[in-house]
Amino acid sequence: MNARAVEFSVNWDACIRCGACVAVCPHDAGFTTAFDTIAVDTACDIACMFCEQVCPVTAITSRHAEP
Amino acid sequence: MPADLEVDTVVVGSGPAGATTARVAAENGARVLLVEKKQELGAPVQCSGAVSSHALAEAGVPVNDEFVSTPIHGFVTYESTGESVTVDYRGERDEALGYVVDRRRFDRYLMTMAERQDVTVWLKTEARGYARRPDGNVDVNLSRFGEPVTVRARVIVGADGLQSQVGKWAGLRTHIRLAELASCLQYVVDGVETNGLLEIVTGHRWAPGGYAWLFPKGHGYAEVGLGVARTMTKDDARTHLKRFMRDSFLADRLADARILEIQGGGVPLAAPLKRQVADNVLLVGDAARHVNPITGGGIHTALRGGLIAGRTLAKLISERIQPTAENLSRYHQEWMAELGAAMWKLYGVKADIFSRRTSLEDRDRRLFGTLASYFRPDSEYRKI
Repeated sequence: MNARAVEFSVNWDACIRCGACVAVCPHDAGFTTAFDTIAVDTACDIACMFCEQVCPVTAITSRHAEP
Repeated sequence: MPADLEVDTVVVGSGPAGATTARVAAENGARVLLVEKKQELGAPVQCSGAVSSHALAEAGVPVNDEFVSTPIHGFVTYESTGESVTVDYRGERDEALGYVVDRRRFDRYLMTMAERQDVTVWLKTEARGYARRPDGNVDVNLSRFGEPVTVRARVIVGADGLQSQVGKWAGLRTHIRLAELASCLQYVVDGVETNGLLEIVTGHRWAPGGYAWLFPKGHGYAEVGLGVARTMTKDDARTHLKRFMRDSFLADRLADARILEIQGGGVPLAAPLKRQVADNVLLVGDAARHVNPITGGGIHTALRGGLIAGRTLAKLISERIQPTAENLSRYHQEWMAELGAAMWKLYGVKADIFSRRTSLEDRDRRLFGTLASYFRPDSEYRKI
């Protein structure tokens, strides 16, 4: 696994379910949740962090994925 | 596995683009299934709801109290300092220039129009993928109330918004660059006076890479919001909106604002997709990035794209033409001729304004100049 890989968390109390994070996500189809967000608790080895940045309400956070 | 249903077209997503594509295709003889994963349309709202009268007329959508929040008669465009230019059509024309609509009611109205043309509508139905068949058709895998359903179709229309999965399944490059996806937030507020005009505030100071707005919402309500490019600021849209409401020249008018609804999302201020079709697949609306890259307006472009897609699909189906990428590119060509070329031109203007070579002062001056002239009666862009 890529050393930079991260796992995202969504603060569901802040998320407005807008899907902007998915729109900037370069992953193939399916890196999503049922709530129109990028996948959570799944390693992301692209780690561009665009999803975190585009969120209008800063609901997305990340940590390094466990190797 | 036998299919549970056979149609000509499955349209994924019942927003303005999907519902219009479905309706127009059905009007022209196609058998259409329109699927929508939500149980109610339009929510969570991600849109200010401004749409011109001509956009509705062109798409054959009657103006109806069911979805109109308030009529619009003109525009005020502000510089970052508060200097402004007003274009008010009252006195010159009797009918409204456009409307702010309630997207929940508007989207349902458009879906109803489709349903009345014999489009089959399935709510709580999510598309999960599709497989091409040897006969040139596709099996579309759906999850309806959580139960798997397979529908055989000739074409699948991706009207599934910014985060389009249909486009990704088809191998189309749909993801948007961070610099070109405005991060937007708006509040529906009580206690703020408006006067039938769309008010637009430019300036890097308030909304870097985008603009702020104050729109009437009817019933004494207003919408105040903004969009920013996160490549141009370290702060999120919510922080910018708080600052705008507290510190800008509109602060006095916004002082008593009480928030009734919080809405937001990404608005592509981007070029349309270069490839909007693949074998058996066609994209419309936000999924194809049919959004005005200067104003961020997407309802007109969604309706218009839906008209073109619906017509093209019906023709292809009635003439029994194979829905290969090559044959579906007819849609892209017609769209380019009717709308796309002008949108690409607008994208050029936008890209120029926000180019790294343009100084901040120059950006402010040019964005203000472009938006102020955009809404003038003689503007070449007014019909986009």
